[in-house]
Amino acid sequence: MILAWKAALIIFTGLISLEIGAAEAAEKTVFPAPGGQETILSIHGATDLAAMDPLIRDFQELSPTVTVEYNEYLTNELFNRAASECDAKQGTMDLVLSSSADHMVKLVNDGCALNYRSAMTRRLPSWTRWRDEVFGFTFEPAVIVYNRDLVPSEDVRRTRAELIDLLRTKPEQYNGKIGSFDISQSGVGYLFASYDAHGTTTFGRLLEAFGRAGLVAGCCTTDLVSDLASGRLAIGYNLIGSYAVGAVRRGAHLAIVIPRDYTVVLSRVVFIPRFSRNPVSAFRFLDYLLSERGQKKSREASFFFSFEGTLPEEVDGPLWLASSGLLRPITIGPELLAVQDRAKRQRFLSEWRRSTHIEPEDR
Amino acid sequence: MRILLVEDTEDVGEAIVARFERIGHAVDWEKDGGVADEVLEVQVYDLLILDVNLPALDGFSILKRLRQRKSKTPVLVLTARSQVDDRVDALDLGADDYLVKPFDYRELEARARALLRRSAGESTNQLVCGQVTIDRGSRAVSINGTPIDLTRRELTLLEILAARPGRIFGKDELVDQLFGFDDEPSPNAVEQYVARLRKKLAGSGAEIRTLRGLGYQIVCP
Amino acid sequence: MIRPGRSLYSRIILVIAIVFGAGSLALGTAAWFYARLAADDAYDRLLVGAALQIAESIYAQEGTISVDPPVSAFETLSLSTNDRIFYKVLDPHGAVLTGYDDLAAAAANTGSHEPLISDSEYRGFPVRVAVVGRLVSDPVAPGWAHVVVAQTREARISLARDLTLKALLLVFAMTSLAFMGILFAVRRALEPLTRVERELRSRDPKDLTPLDVEIPREIQTLVSTINRFMDRLSGRIALMQRFIADAAHQIRTPLAGLASQVDLLTEETRPERKEQQLIRVRERTAELGRLTNQLLSHAMIIHRAEVAEFEAIDLTALARQTLINAVPLSLDRDVDIAFNDPPEPVLMRGDAVSLREALSNLIHNALKHGATTRLEVRVLAEGDAAVIEVVDDGPGIPVSEWQRVREPFHTQSATGSGLGLAIAGDVVRAHGGELCFRERSEEGFAVILRFKRLNEAPQLPTAGEAS
Repeated sequence: MILAWKAALIIFTGLISLEIGAAEAAEKTVFPAPGGQETILSIHGATDLAAMDPLIRDFQELSPTVTVEYNEYLTNELFNRAASECDAKQGTMDLVLSSSADHMVKLVNDGCALNYRSAMTRRLPSWTRWRDEVFGFTFEPAVIVYNRDLVPSEDVRRTRAELIDLLRTKPEQYNGKIGSFDISQSGVGYLFASYDAHGTTTFGRLLEAFGRAGLVAGCCTTDLVSDLASGRLAIGYNLIGSYAVGAVRRGAHLAIVIPRDYTVVLSRVVFIPRFSRNPVSAFRFLDYLLSERGQKKSREASFFFSFEGTLPEEVDGPLWLASSGLLRPITIGPELLAVQDRAKRQRFLSEWRRSTHIEPEDR
Repeated sequence: MRILLVEDTEDVGEAIVARFERIGHAVDWEKDGGVADEVLEVQVYDLLILDVNLPALDGFSILKRLRQRKSKTPVLVLTARSQVDDRVDALDLGADDYLVKPFDYRELEARARALLRRSAGESTNQLVCGQVTIDRGSRAVSINGTPIDLTRRELTLLEILAARPGRIFGKDELVDQLFGFDDEPSPNAVEQYVARLRKKLAGSGAEIRTLRGLGYQIVCP
Repeated sequence: MIRPGRSLYSRIILVIAIVFGAGSLALGTAAWFYARLAADDAYDRLLVGAALQIAESIYAQEGTISVDPPVSAFETLSLSTNDRIFYKVLDPHGAVLTGYDDLAAAAANTGSHEPLISDSEYRGFPVRVAVVGRLVSDPVAPGWAHVVVAQTREARISLARDLTLKALLLVFAMTSLAFMGILFAVRRALEPLTRVERELRSRDPKDLTPLDVEIPREIQTLVSTINRFMDRLSGRIALMQRFIADAAHQIRTPLAGLASQVDLLTEETRPERKEQQLIRVRERTAELGRLTNQLLSHAMIIHRAEVAEFEAIDLTALARQTLINAVPLSLDRDVDIAFNDPPEPVLMRGDAVSLREALSNLIHNALKHGATTRLEVRVLAEGDAAVIEVVDDGPGIPVSEWQRVREPFHTQSATGSGLGLAIAGDVVRAHGGELCFRERSEEGFAVILRFKRLNEAPQLPTAGEAS
């Protein structure tokens, strides 16, 4: 994790947007143009800097005159900020990327994005793009993670039903040791959960089982993965696979399992805001992300999974996941507006809380 | 009397000249239209016999120029062209009579004689038919030198008929010439005048003939 | 002269091209119109379907009304892949339960099960809006809840465009097919004309037999007109040839006689014989002149029979003037000339020139061969017939000769050419009348020309007047 990005200038800022009047916390990192600055590309993302760093640097090798600012947010914060800039019809964001595809789709639906079409965008599978305005550039399965030290390999379960079974049969061993997203805080968590809820009956039982087992809710994958690595948690459910693989590669003793009943797959999403001040560089960055070079870099250094190619060796699952028949990709399209519906969200959250007995935090 | 013949066909010309000289007329013969026209400008003739097809200036042009000069010389047109068209043209342009080639020389002589008589009448103010002499100046008529009494209308009728012997005058035509607008001519008026005139001319050689349905003509021996 | 007009082929093609162009345009417009309707219809079903699904998910619980829009509703809408979706759900009091607060409910919220569909605009996008109501029967808050779903028009437009394009392709294909068919058909249809032309061109100029080509009904009139024309031409040519042959014979005979008389005259020494021969020469010459005039006159009559236009003629005036002009001044015997005019005007349609020619020939004939003391011309109306009679007190023509004398060059007499009656006969025939004779009686022998009388006088007939 402690990579070359130390060289980057790291600034902690509480960005206050005067026009919008809402304060969001964002970490701003500047990658000065190696070949002399000609333009500035301001990227706003809900993705770990660690994952973005190699991609940004690789991009700068191709476009050395672009200074890149990377602003990191939580998914909900990013959404709020992008929505207010869109409503105000002006903006500071040149490119937005986030793992909560539903947020991005809502923004695109509301007309906040620029249209872009290139040879790169056309190559994408149809479920990862919508209206030529929003594009998925990663392939990230939701996985179950086990701490190998706390969970003996015979207890490693590969389907949700088996997992429910395990929690019921060995409550003393795993009570309070299972973690997942706090879906009221995490956009990705909410997205995964609503995908689980939609179309399967297992999910209700799963939530009940989690509730009985005293589910620990975390804000984000990073926190959950580090809790798993440290042994505070034994089992993590619906975690983003790439973060877990990153942890394993950094030495954590974890087992990463692709659920064998079905696998929800998320694609991290990019769009270029309508009021982008530097759309040319933004388009170039987008093309880079989708290009073979960008994808290769992404697979090697940032997100470890890819549309084509095999699973990372650290992962327990079918070698060719994309063609395994387990996939339930989160289609990037207007269907995601249902996920964003506020009535539905309220109802889903209250159900989730009732089952998991997790009270909303006062934030 | 003096006759000008304009004719470029040698044979025809020769014959006409011979014929008219034999009966005592002086005939000038021109073969060229242009020359004929010049001659006509300086010389007055009693009759012009005019061929239509001529070198230099054609007969119709000569006729037209002649009439433009207000000459009253009687003109007899000879033509070998299509009868219908030429007749219309010639009479329109002021010819007095026409003959189509080939023609009978007796007919030519008869027609020329009629025209010459009128010409003579105009120059001497005298019309002669048989033994009848009409003096237009004094408006006196005599038979063999013996004056006879004619009313004004009888005299006018005789003058009309005798100016063109042989010509058939329709009854209507005579009514128009004899009576003015003021008079109310009865249809039989002309017949009555003719009957009286015929009676007064009896034995004079001049004969007024009735052609039923056509009109009257005077025939001079 | 034939004026070169635009070719029949290109004229037809032009008209058809214009018709097809206009037709395609109209069809294209209609196709676009219907395609829009069809696209709207298709996508409206999806829109209403989605709205109904959302409406189904409205529920009341303990006095609060909630909604749980099903994912399937959005999946339904996302069948039009690229379109933006806006929606809101209103409770019976008009409070927004979920969705876009500022989305206008275009239609008045009168309670109804029937979905209302309209066109509107939202956030600058043209949208199609469906409003459906749902009766909420909760005892606490009963009333109509409403679901408003709006969708942008992109899929509709692209479907309409697609349908129109396909329809246009069909129209274009059909039009080109029809056009080619017509090109072919027109070429085929005009082929017989080319055949006729080829046939005429390849003909020997002397060949005036009727065209014998297979032709369609439409140009049968043309070809039969050509055939009739050729028939007439060949008739004329035959007539001319016969005429020339006859004329040659008729001219050569007196010429030969003349030559021999002149020859005799040069040799003759006796004055009394010389005198006789001179008289013969003069007679032959006169005869030859008359013959020539008649031949030419005959030729003119034949010509006029083909070309002259008929006009209304006052036959009385024509006959009177002709008689006056025809009587020579040099008549060698006293003939009583009379004209008998009818009490009423006698009119007919005809060619005045020919009629004058015919009548003057008859008068000449009568003066030459017939009338000893009397010649009378009568015009009379006999019912529907207009009649001219030329009556003389001469010997007349015996009944046995009547048929023969109507043909040219019939007469055997030494002085008459005999063309006069033939000319009159031709003129009468050209006028659709008849020429006949009346046997010699007390009043004399009569040649009668009978024509069809014109009863109405459409204009003042002056054509008969000679100038």
